[in-house]
Amino acid sequence: MARYGMALDYKNCINCKACEVACKEENGVLLGADKHRIWVGVKEIEGEYPLLDIVSNTFVPSQCQHCDDAPCQMVCPTNATYYDENHVVRVDSDKCILCSYCMNACPYDARYVDDRTMTVDKCTFCSDTRLARGETTTACQNTCPTKVRTFGDLDDYDSEISELLRTREHFSLKANLGTKPKLFYLT
Amino acid sequence: MVNKAKEFVATIPFNKVSIKELLSFEKSPRNMLVAVLTVAFIAMFIIGVAIYLTHGHHAYNVTREHPWGLLIAVYIFFVVSSTGLCIIGSLGDVFGFKDYMLISKRAIFGSIVTIIAGFAVIAFEIGHPVTMMIYNILSPGLTSAIWWMGTLYGLYLTFMIIEFVFLLKGDMKKAKVFGLTGLLVGLAAHSNLGSVFGFLNARPISNGVFYPTYFILTAFITGVFIAFIIMGFRYNLNFPDKVKKMLEGLAKIQGLLISILIFFVAWKLLTDMYGGMPNRAEVAEHILGSVPFWTEVILAMVIPLVIILKTMGKKPVLFFWASLSGMVGIFFMRYNLVHDTQLKPLQMLKVKEYQLAPEWIHYFPSATEIMISLGGLGLCIAMYYAGTKFFNLDEDH
Repeated sequence: MARYGMALDYKNCINCKACEVACKEENGVLLGADKHRIWVGVKEIEGEYPLLDIVSNTFVPSQCQHCDDAPCQMVCPTNATYYDENHVVRVDSDKCILCSYCMNACPYDARYVDDRTMTVDKCTFCSDTRLARGETTTACQNTCPTKVRTFGDLDDYDSEISELLRTREHFSLKANLGTKPKLFYLT
Repeated sequence: MVNKAKEFVATIPFNKVSIKELLSFEKSPRNMLVAVLTVAFIAMFIIGVAIYLTHGHHAYNVTREHPWGLLIAVYIFFVVSSTGLCIIGSLGDVFGFKDYMLISKRAIFGSIVTIIAGFAVIAFEIGHPVTMMIYNILSPGLTSAIWWMGTLYGLYLTFMIIEFVFLLKGDMKKAKVFGLTGLLVGLAAHSNLGSVFGFLNARPISNGVFYPTYFILTAFITGVFIAFIIMGFRYNLNFPDKVKKMLEGLAKIQGLLISILIFFVAWKLLTDMYGGMPNRAEVAEHILGSVPFWTEVILAMVIPLVIILKTMGKKPVLFFWASLSGMVGIFFMRYNLVHDTQLKPLQMLKVKEYQLAPEWIHYFPSATEIMISLGGLGLCIAMYYAGTKFFNLDEDH
């Protein structure tokens, strides 16, 4: 069994949002601005025209961090949120009661309500779709024109992501909360 | 065994009341006002539930960023009231304070109807209440404060009903055993409700030990306010000496409790702001500048405390009105607790085109949420009124 994670070379992101579109298409995510599993956070350009600080404009692609100590999993009253065999944080929609505690507890705002099932939904690293078909990439990774994302098995020493994390400096979002995210931002 | 149970149930004393008797009451202006409001609130509940059943959570103003809204606050309001009434009821029949025996039955019955009203409201906030009952047992999330809170409140309700039955039967020994058990389970449930917020590591404004302890204190305060209100209605504000003595004692206790509450809240806010900790200090400053917070402070703390200090608890009629103000303040306290926890966006970058990055999360309840919430109050008053007809809630002699 794998322990999947993702490395993001976020400085390469051009905010084309192809990843958001691919995710919605691949996983059948509902349309609507609030219904998204992944997103690109935008830090606007600082300064006033014509003295704009171009390098202050950054794009930070993000999604569920698939934490090893996920607060959303701990607070779920019916264990609807669980770790699957690949350490991916998933939601069993049959058990979800829509108490929304996980939405409140997730430090990354990674969860939303799927109006079709009226349960909480989130990124699954394409476990139900691409991984289930035997593919080894996620939709967001596959579509990215600047190759921001690298998805793979963190426990496999020879995987591309392991190699990247050994050779490049990286950080995690809100690491001070001790959630041990499996999304790594390369610097 | 079945026969014994049947015999036990058959010997529970209650009044046989016809529909006509149930609907007859003294037609004073105050009673008429409460009756009309109760019927209107129940009608709103029915309309609100109908809208919810047809539109789901879209009928509420809750969002991805603000998933908990007014109904959660109202649920907390009712269960806090229930725990508070349980504490008040226990003063007499569990701890043996003779002066407080005369309110025991009334308070315990009040604790039952308030928690049922709370469950009625939360049933329309939880997306799948039936699934909840099934998977709460089949797949319990033991690390979840919500699981413990819900399960313990279920047990608490059971113990309260059993205690009430023994109180009706006049079996004080068994009432004491179940009352004490119910009180302990209720306090555990209630502090777990506080921990639902206290365990939120992602929300520095609510994370920590404060809420689990503060909830118990505010429950006691709420219980005293409601005790004044129900005794005020029972005696039409014309209190006999025995009741006056009890209410004077309760008012003095309330003075101490509100003073402690002010001390707690002041230090909580000072600690939140001190040092300017990100995501905590600015939220505390935002709270200090908000109208609902000062409404809470003035109605639930300042007005009741000033009246107690001025009268030394010797004017129960005045404190009856202060208790009404106090309960409105307590409602704002619950609303603020829920809303303020979610004030700060967890995602600070701009994620939607043509919009600015979020600074604060805005929320105002929808008409449906308001209707269901007021409906909960209507249900609570209606159940309590029916109880006064069906059971003898005064002290047995």
